[in-house]
Amino acid sequence: MRSSSKVLVTSAVCLLATACTGQSASPGDDGGGGGGDSLVYLVEQLEDADSLNRLEDHLADFTESSGIEVEVQQLDVDTMRTVLQTRLRAEDGPDVISWGSGPSFAGALAEAGLLYDLTEAYEENGWEVYDFAKERVTYDGRIHGIPGEMETVGLFYNTQVLSDLGIEPPRTLDDLRAACQAVSEAGLIPMAFGDQDAWPGSHLLSMALSSAVGPDGMEALFSGERSWDSPEVVDALTFWQEANQNGWLGESPVSIDYDTMTSLYLSGEAAMIPTGSWFINDLAVGADFESGYVPFPAPDGEGVFAAGLGSGPLISANTDNPEGAIELLDFFASEEHGQWSVENLQTIPPRPVDTEGLDVEPLLAQVLEDVSSLSEGGGELGYNIDVLMSEAFNEAMFDGIQALLTGQSTPAEVAAALQAASQQ
Amino acid sequence: MTAAPAPAAAPPLPETGRSRRRGRRTQSGVSEATRRQQARLGVLLVAPAVVLMAVFLVFPVLNAVYYVFVDFDGLDTTPPWVGLANFTELAQDRQMWAAAWNNLIWIVLGTAGPLVLGTGLALLLWGVRRGSTFYRVVFFLPYVLPQVAVGVVWGWIYAPTRGWLNRGLEAVGLGEVTRGWLGDPDTALYAVLGTAIWTATGFVFVIVLSALRNVATELVDAAMLDGANYRQRLRSVVLPQIMPVFLMVTALTLIGGFAVFDIVFVMTGGGPANATEVLGTYAYSNAFQLSRISYGTTLALVVTALAVPVAVWLNRLQRRASSEGLGA
Repeated sequence: MRSSSKVLVTSAVCLLATACTGQSASPGDDGGGGGGDSLVYLVEQLEDADSLNRLEDHLADFTESSGIEVEVQQLDVDTMRTVLQTRLRAEDGPDVISWGSGPSFAGALAEAGLLYDLTEAYEENGWEVYDFAKERVTYDGRIHGIPGEMETVGLFYNTQVLSDLGIEPPRTLDDLRAACQAVSEAGLIPMAFGDQDAWPGSHLLSMALSSAVGPDGMEALFSGERSWDSPEVVDALTFWQEANQNGWLGESPVSIDYDTMTSLYLSGEAAMIPTGSWFINDLAVGADFESGYVPFPAPDGEGVFAAGLGSGPLISANTDNPEGAIELLDFFASEEHGQWSVENLQTIPPRPVDTEGLDVEPLLAQVLEDVSSLSEGGGELGYNIDVLMSEAFNEAMFDGIQALLTGQSTPAEVAAALQAASQQ
Repeated sequence: MTAAPAPAAAPPLPETGRSRRRGRRTQSGVSEATRRQQARLGVLLVAPAVVLMAVFLVFPVLNAVYYVFVDFDGLDTTPPWVGLANFTELAQDRQMWAAAWNNLIWIVLGTAGPLVLGTGLALLLWGVRRGSTFYRVVFFLPYVLPQVAVGVVWGWIYAPTRGWLNRGLEAVGLGEVTRGWLGDPDTALYAVLGTAIWTATGFVFVIVLSALRNVATELVDAAMLDGANYRQRLRSVVLPQIMPVFLMVTALTLIGGFAVFDIVFVMTGGGPANATEVLGTYAYSNAFQLSRISYGTTLALVVTALAVPVAVWLNRLQRRASSEGLGA
């Protein structure tokens, strides 16, 4: 009896202790943050095992040159969104994370004091990043990260289909209307689009609005100088309402998810697709035809690409190894890393990259050249709205575009909802 | 013949020195010392379960109650105390009421549908012996499939251009009613609900069929001899016997209607434009997408508070049915 009591009491105490304390890492324990010669790098779930292998092989080059081991950990985006703040506060949290640069992402972490201030590191290491991109990781005048990749949003088109129909790539909204009409009459879907996931809808507004009001107009909207229920916003929304009502976005676009949307274009059922530069990778793998990529047309002339930043590396304020983490970011900011990401990930680095001699898709090479010249003062770039606005605004925008495409709201009502959300 | 002598009462056990020292026995013949030891052992035996309940149930619930009275955004380690502000906002939140209405539709149709279909199927297959296992497996299979997989597959079925449903409708000349089922605000909730009913029907079917197998068939035969028709036999003889099981299945299905989340989240995410938003997805959206942890927790607690009285009521009905001698 007495021995059984002891066993039960001991078991209960151990159980309680285990439940209450959770895991804790001891020095040298591999389960947590990196020590002096190691780093934990937390990234959003990669697409497949091959992508992880490529990243780990690339990081092996860093280890070879620096002597710092990097352990890659992955979390899917939704889980990461939920647990990231807790993990950054933990003693054994990651040293470096790859996360979005918007105010609801890295901005919120910086505001909570969870990110390492990299302002001095930028000066000391001379990291060469486009000003446009650097601004996106600057919060309250302090720089907190290296932009990972740039993304532009515009209109891809099947060159063969447009050529066969005698249509030039659309430069103005009227050109686009005429092209959609001709494609529709030819029995194809003019623009493949799917908004079941809700976020693609934000790209419709981003590209139409960026081209209509330009970067200055977009900045006025973001700063509150211009209202989100202004006529330009209503007009941009009205175009998409018109496109949907005319069937230019295919049948019931809100029922279609992003993968189906891209497959409609890749299979040749649709002549155009409004989406972002990340789609170049899918084109390289899945399309057996040539594509072109242009900015979304403006009402009275050529438009601009809407641009934004994808996830990029940030350092945890709680890291035990800030020197090692900065060394890793120095590696990510290098031209060699930029060239590697162009060749292996088909992404646009946020810095100038010499692509000569690289194995790059012609379309990506064109986009890289465009972005480089635009970022260095050769033109203008618009803005991808959802990476710059709050989650509350994004929610209103996602719901609003879906409501517009399902006939539940008018453009004016959606614009009014956006204005209300921007005030929250 | 003499009566057999009554068995002699067992002689009292001799008191040991220890029991004499520890005092008197209780009426049941167990000494107080033994009872204390038994009580101590009992406490020790239930202690692990109590600890588990405390750590994984009581503490999280108390923690959730704390969060509804503060404004926690997931970042601030010292969230400000807001009292009943979350409840006030909830009462005035039109989107919450729309989600609650969808929940109500879900509870009514999502409970009635599987109960009617599952019970109907069970009655159809009640007397079937050959292939009975096959039918049970086939109809129960959707219930054990992961909801995510079910949602993805039914998403394909409902797809506007390549979906089997629209193709099937076109094949039988009903092309005019084809649509993007999940993208149309008028049909999206019912399309998701249809999927949920498809998965839950198998569960009701298997449980009710098991209950029917225990129904006293002689009573059914007697009713038939008395001239009762099928409907009368079903209402007055069969259903009363399976009533406790039927109420248990009703309770489980109904509570599932309050807590519905996964199938809606996978198939529509609450869209288009909140047309399929239910309290579960709305709570998730607030807590984890808008970082309004406290408001999301308040919504979740309200869902729990609404479900508990219904569950208790159905449980009492079930116990009453059992105590009245009903039941298979």
